[in-house]
Amino acid sequence: MEIRIGDEAPDFEAQAYHQGHIQTLRLSQYRKKQWVLLLFYPGDFTFV
Amino acid sequence: MAAVAVKYPAFQELGTEVLAASVDSVETHQEWQAKELSRMVKGGALYPMISDPEGKIGRLYGVYDAKTGLDLRSHFVIDPQGIVQAMEIVAAPIGRNVSEILRQLRALQHYQATGDYIPCGWEPGKPTLRKSPDASTTSGKVWEIWKPRNAF
Repeated sequence: MEIRIGDEAPDFEAQAYHQGHIQTLRLSQYRKKQWVLLLFYPGDFTFV
Repeated sequence: MAAVAVKYPAFQELGTEVLAASVDSVETHQEWQAKELSRMVKGGALYPMISDPEGKIGRLYGVYDAKTGLDLRSHFVIDPQGIVQAMEIVAAPIGRNVSEILRQLRALQHYQATGDYIPCGWEPGKPTLRKSPDASTTSGKVWEIWKPRNAF
Protein backbone atom coordinates (compact mmCIF):
# COMPACT_ATOMS: atom_id res chain seq x y z
CA MET A 1 0.00 0.00 0.00
CA GLU A 2 1.29 3.40 -0.90
CA ILE A 3 -0.14 6.65 0.42
CA ARG A 4 -0.12 9.84 -1.61
CA ILE A 5 -0.83 13.40 -0.55
CA GLY A 6 -4.54 14.07 -1.02
CA ASP A 7 -5.51 10.46 -0.32
CA GLU A 8 -8.00 9.61 2.35
CA ALA A 9 -6.05 8.28 5.32
CA PRO A 10 -6.79 4.54 5.68
CA ASP A 11 -9.02 3.95 8.68
CA PHE A 12 -8.00 1.45 11.34
CA GLU A 13 -9.02 0.21 14.75
CA ALA A 14 -6.35 -0.42 17.35
CA GLN A 15 -5.59 -0.96 20.99
CA ALA A 16 -3.84 1.93 22.67
CA TYR A 17 -2.29 2.71 26.01
CA HIS A 18 -3.55 6.14 27.05
CA GLN A 19 -2.98 7.81 30.42
CA GLY A 20 -3.10 4.63 32.46
CA HIS A 21 -5.82 2.89 30.50
CA ILE A 22 -5.97 0.40 27.66
CA GLN A 23 -8.54 1.50 25.12
CA THR A 24 -9.70 0.77 21.60
CA LEU A 25 -9.66 3.65 19.17
CA ARG A 26 -10.46 4.23 15.52
CA LEU A 27 -8.84 6.86 13.32
CA SER A 28 -12.26 7.84 11.97
CA GLN A 29 -13.43 8.96 15.43
CA TYR A 30 -11.40 12.15 14.90
CA ARG A 31 -13.01 12.90 11.53
CA LYS A 32 -14.77 16.32 11.36
CA LYS A 33 -13.39 17.08 14.83
CA GLN A 34 -9.62 17.41 14.83
CA TRP A 35 -6.42 17.18 12.88
CA VAL A 36 -4.42 14.02 13.55
CA LEU A 37 -0.67 13.56 13.65
CA LEU A 38 -0.11 9.85 13.12
CA LEU A 39 3.43 8.86 14.08
CA PHE A 40 5.12 5.53 13.60
CA TYR A 41 8.36 4.61 15.37
CA PRO A 42 10.53 1.50 15.41
CA GLY A 43 10.06 0.58 19.04
CA ASP A 44 9.74 1.34 22.73
CA PHE A 45 12.96 1.59 24.73
CA THR A 46 14.95 2.80 21.74
CA PHE A 47 16.95 5.93 22.25
CA VAL A 48 16.34 8.07 19.17
CA MET B 1 8.75 10.14 21.28
CA ALA B 2 9.71 12.00 24.46
CA ALA B 3 10.21 15.15 22.37
CA VAL B 4 6.69 14.76 21.00
CA ALA B 5 5.47 14.36 24.59
CA VAL B 6 7.13 17.67 25.53
CA LYS B 7 5.34 19.44 22.67
CA TYR B 8 1.99 17.67 23.11
CA PRO B 9 0.33 20.83 24.53
CA ALA B 10 1.37 22.73 21.37
CA PHE B 11 -0.29 20.06 19.21
CA GLN B 12 -3.43 20.28 21.32
CA GLU B 13 -3.48 24.07 20.90
CA LEU B 14 -3.53 23.42 17.15
CA GLY B 15 -6.60 21.18 17.54
CA THR B 16 -4.49 18.14 16.75
CA GLU B 17 -4.54 14.71 18.35
CA VAL B 18 -1.27 12.81 18.35
CA LEU B 19 -1.37 9.04 17.80
CA ALA B 20 1.92 7.16 18.16
CA ALA B 21 2.20 3.60 16.86
CA SER B 22 4.79 0.86 17.07
CA VAL B 23 4.64 -2.93 16.90
CA ASP B 24 5.02 -3.13 20.69
CA SER B 25 2.16 -4.37 22.87
CA VAL B 26 0.10 -1.97 24.97
CA GLU B 27 1.74 -3.57 28.03
CA THR B 28 5.18 -2.64 26.70
CA HIS B 29 3.95 0.90 26.00
CA GLN B 30 2.78 1.07 29.61
CA GLU B 31 6.13 -0.20 30.86
CA TRP B 32 8.08 2.27 28.71
CA GLN B 33 5.87 5.06 29.95
CA ALA B 34 6.45 4.07 33.61
CA LYS B 35 10.16 3.28 33.42
CA GLU B 36 11.46 5.88 31.02
CA LEU B 37 9.13 8.44 29.41
CA SER B 38 7.76 9.64 32.75
CA ARG B 39 11.34 10.20 33.92
CA MET B 40 12.18 12.31 30.87
CA VAL B 41 8.97 14.35 30.59
CA LYS B 42 6.68 15.49 33.40
CA GLY B 43 3.62 13.22 33.21
CA GLY B 44 5.21 11.20 30.40
CA ALA B 45 3.48 10.75 27.06
CA LEU B 46 -0.12 11.91 27.39
CA TYR B 47 -1.13 10.95 23.85
CA PRO B 48 -2.53 7.51 22.91
CA MET B 49 0.22 4.97 22.22
CA ILE B 50 -1.08 2.50 19.66
CA SER B 51 -0.07 -1.13 19.56
CA ASP B 52 0.44 -2.26 15.96
CA PRO B 53 1.28 -5.97 16.24
CA GLU B 54 2.71 -7.40 13.00
CA GLY B 55 2.61 -3.89 11.53
CA LYS B 56 -0.97 -4.14 10.29
CA ILE B 57 -1.48 -0.36 10.39
CA GLY B 58 2.08 0.26 9.20
CA ARG B 59 1.35 -1.83 6.11
CA LEU B 60 -1.77 0.28 5.40
CA TYR B 61 0.48 3.36 5.36
CA GLY B 62 3.39 1.75 3.52
CA VAL B 63 5.82 2.13 6.42
CA TYR B 64 6.08 -1.45 7.70
CA ASP B 65 9.58 -2.86 7.17
CA ALA B 66 9.22 -6.62 6.72
CA LYS B 67 13.00 -7.12 7.02
CA THR B 68 13.09 -5.89 10.61
CA GLY B 69 9.45 -6.50 11.50
CA LEU B 70 9.15 -2.88 12.64
CA ASP B 71 7.29 0.25 11.60
CA LEU B 72 9.63 2.85 10.11
CA ARG B 73 9.98 6.22 11.79
CA SER B 74 7.45 8.34 9.92
CA HIS B 75 4.64 10.83 10.26
CA PHE B 76 1.37 11.59 8.52
CA VAL B 77 -0.57 14.84 8.99
CA ILE B 78 -4.27 14.15 8.49
CA ASP B 79 -6.75 17.02 8.23
CA PRO B 80 -10.26 17.01 9.77
CA GLN B 81 -11.67 15.72 6.47
CA GLY B 82 -9.46 12.64 6.86
CA ILE B 83 -7.11 13.64 4.03
CA VAL B 84 -3.34 13.11 4.21
CA GLN B 85 -1.72 16.56 3.86
CA ALA B 86 1.92 15.84 4.76
CA MET B 87 4.10 12.81 5.32
CA GLU B 88 7.69 11.85 5.99
CA ILE B 89 9.67 8.63 6.43
CA VAL B 90 13.13 8.72 8.02
CA ALA B 91 15.78 6.04 8.50
CA ALA B 92 15.55 4.48 11.95
CA PRO B 93 18.83 5.91 13.32
CA ILE B 94 17.68 9.49 12.61
CA GLY B 95 15.37 11.32 14.98
CA ARG B 96 12.57 13.51 13.69
CA ASN B 97 12.24 17.29 14.01
CA VAL B 98 9.15 17.99 16.11
CA SER B 99 9.37 21.75 15.48
CA GLU B 100 9.17 21.11 11.74
CA ILE B 101 6.08 18.94 12.17
CA LEU B 102 4.45 21.76 14.16
CA ARG B 103 5.45 24.22 11.42
CA GLN B 104 3.82 22.00 8.79
CA LEU B 105 0.62 21.87 10.82
CA ARG B 106 0.55 25.65 11.28
CA ALA B 107 1.27 26.16 7.59
CA LEU B 108 -1.43 23.72 6.46
CA GLN B 109 -3.97 25.29 8.82
CA HIS B 110 -3.02 28.79 7.64
CA TYR B 111 -3.43 27.72 4.02
CA GLN B 112 -6.81 26.10 4.67
CA ALA B 113 -8.01 29.20 6.54
CA THR B 114 -6.79 31.86 4.10
CA GLY B 115 -6.00 30.21 0.75
CA ASP B 116 -2.62 31.95 0.85
CA TYR B 117 0.40 30.02 -0.37
CA ILE B 118 3.06 29.29 2.20
CA PRO B 119 6.60 30.06 1.05
CA CYS B 120 9.75 28.12 1.94
CA GLY B 121 10.69 28.36 5.61
CA TRP B 122 7.49 30.17 6.57
CA GLU B 123 6.73 30.61 10.25
CA PRO B 124 3.67 32.37 11.70
CA GLY B 125 4.11 36.13 11.29
CA LYS B 126 6.19 35.84 8.11
CA PRO B 127 4.70 36.91 4.76
CA THR B 128 2.64 34.49 2.71
CA LEU B 129 1.89 34.69 -1.00
CA ARG B 130 -1.61 35.75 -1.95
CA LYS B 131 -3.04 33.63 -4.70
CA SER B 132 -3.80 35.87 -7.64
CA PRO B 133 -7.00 35.25 -9.61
CA ASP B 134 -4.87 35.70 -12.71
CA ALA B 135 -1.68 33.62 -12.57
CA SER B 136 -0.07 35.76 -15.28
CA THR B 137 0.17 38.70 -12.87
CA THR B 138 2.35 36.76 -10.40
CA SER B 139 4.12 34.29 -12.66
CA GLY B 140 7.77 35.32 -12.92
CA LYS B 141 7.26 38.16 -10.45
CA VAL B 142 7.61 36.38 -7.11
CA TRP B 143 11.16 37.81 -6.91
CA GLU B 144 9.64 41.26 -6.47
CA ILE B 145 7.78 40.33 -3.29
CA TRP B 146 9.67 37.40 -1.74
CA LYS B 147 13.39 37.11 -1.00
CA PRO B 148 15.28 33.90 -0.20
CA ARG B 149 16.33 35.41 3.14
CA ASN B 150 12.65 35.13 4.16
CA ALA B 151 13.19 31.37 4.24
CA PHE B 152 15.62 31.46 7.16
